[in-house]
Amino acid sequence: MNRSLIYFDEEDFENSIDLLEVVNQIYKDSEYETYAICFNHNDGVIDGKFDYLINIQNEEIKNYDVQNITNCIEELHHIYDFDSILIPATYLGRMLAPRLSMRLKVGLVADVTAIEHNNGVVEMVRPAFSGKIFAGIVNKNCKTIMMSVRPNVFVYTTASLKKTEKINFKPTTVKPSKISLLKTKEKENIKDIRESEVLISGGGGVIGDFEHLYLLAHELNGMVSASRSIVDSGIASRSIQVGQSGKTVSPKLYIALGIYGSLQHIEGLKNVENIISVNINKDAPICSLADIVVEGDAIEFIDKLLEKINKNRI
Amino acid sequence: MKIICLVKFVPDVDNFTYDYEKNVLVRENVKLILNPEDACALSFALRIKGKNPETFVEIVSMAPQSTIPLIEDLLRLNVDKATLISDKLYGGSDTYVTSKIIAKYLRYEEYNFILTGSHSLDGDTAHIPSQIAEMLQISQLSNIVKVDEESLVNDSVIVLVDCEKNLSEYELALPSVLSIGKESKYKLPFVKYKDLELNVKDRISVITNDELKFLKNEVGIEGSLTKVNRTFARKLNNKEKVVVRNDDEGIEVVYKFLKDKGFV
Repeated sequence: MNRSLIYFDEEDFENSIDLLEVVNQIYKDSEYETYAICFNHNDGVIDGKFDYLINIQNEEIKNYDVQNITNCIEELHHIYDFDSILIPATYLGRMLAPRLSMRLKVGLVADVTAIEHNNGVVEMVRPAFSGKIFAGIVNKNCKTIMMSVRPNVFVYTTASLKKTEKINFKPTTVKPSKISLLKTKEKENIKDIRESEVLISGGGGVIGDFEHLYLLAHELNGMVSASRSIVDSGIASRSIQVGQSGKTVSPKLYIALGIYGSLQHIEGLKNVENIISVNINKDAPICSLADIVVEGDAIEFIDKLLEKINKNRI
Repeated sequence: MKIICLVKFVPDVDNFTYDYEKNVLVRENVKLILNPEDACALSFALRIKGKNPETFVEIVSMAPQSTIPLIEDLLRLNVDKATLISDKLYGGSDTYVTSKIIAKYLRYEEYNFILTGSHSLDGDTAHIPSQIAEMLQISQLSNIVKVDEESLVNDSVIVLVDCEKNLSEYELALPSVLSIGKESKYKLPFVKYKDLELNVKDRISVITNDELKFLKNEVGIEGSLTKVNRTFARKLNNKEKVVVRNDDEGIEVVYKFLKDKGFV
């Protein structure tokens, strides 16, 4: 029986649960059990999804104290000898996974976006060189495989409920914390581009008038996002960047304005239902993904489309 | 105060091209640049040194010796010392082995804190800072946007961190690894004109496996715990697409598409 441990990030429980789909793809038809580990968790969202829930109730372990979380998981791994350890590549997960892999001396693959099976070995696929190529990585001479998983890429859909058994575990390795949270505040722009059904996205072609995109976003009830060239030039914040070094998005409508569509950008588009690309170059790579390609200037396109929408409203 | 800053030179990935015929990455003639977030980290270190001239700033990099000219340019920015960890045996090391090698050097060094970037432009695994912190048994935080300079007088430091959903202020015990993020406002200055040709060779120290003494099977491809099985280019699935012009007719097509799908 394969045992798989998933780190449950309280800050992002949806992406934590979606890791069940990754486990599914690793073991396919062979038998497996899933274990969720979380700290001071008191919400029912895990019930019915995992086979086991290891909930560590210990007020001394804060959810940002990566060193103590590592201590606990190490202790657990010595008991359960997991075959796979999966961690969502969230802010915390990206610090936890490497620290834990070092402690356990288990190879780690970062930001996995696909699982492949190649001659009987599990290949963890991740983009490399800013998404210009993909690498299939395997774990050498080690029973346990370990990865951090790119959020918003895998979707867990199985509806059948499991009888989640709760495991009460009392760690013995908790140490005085070297880190404390003084204060925290939610970002002003609370809505995340990943939550928007409509994205009006701009690239190098709209660098001269990026603000114009907000007019169209407002009209279509969507949000503005950007390619790396816009973010690197300081016009927009990294929080709205789409792509390998930004975010992976899955809106229903993606309007790409003056975006060339480098592989690193396209890597950020997953399960996008409809794409419209406006570009002076109709052969730009992004256009090969589009339902409609509009050949021309993107700012001019915004004005014309807004005019059309307004005219038809009357 | 002594600050160690870990830096890495990365290929300027924007200038890569991919040869789809041969299925290889064309890496010739691609110049190396200082990883942008490492530049933020180093400029913070130099900022501290600017305020307190007795601060000692050392950069540490694991790279081939061909990067020495790039390192010299950094030394001309008023960096006190550069350590280049370089050995043919280390080629092909994965992040696990790389962290082990760098941490072995750091273990014998004294420092108040270690600075790094949060991500690198090429691999972008963000493994090294956390793994080194684990080897040294100290704490680490990524995506730091601001370090409270006043707080550094104590044996702890207060930092402002971009945790994606929120902005948080943490206090960490020193020594620790502080990984600076891109959103920080720290910018590297240019080399002063008078220092452009400054001879800085005596400030570079090259550390090889003669000093670090790893066994051959502990490092490089052999010592790595992961292996790249294959690399491939992604095939783009071409959709059935309509190409229109940016005129009344084209706008009509777009409008009708949006209307049919319920977006307007």
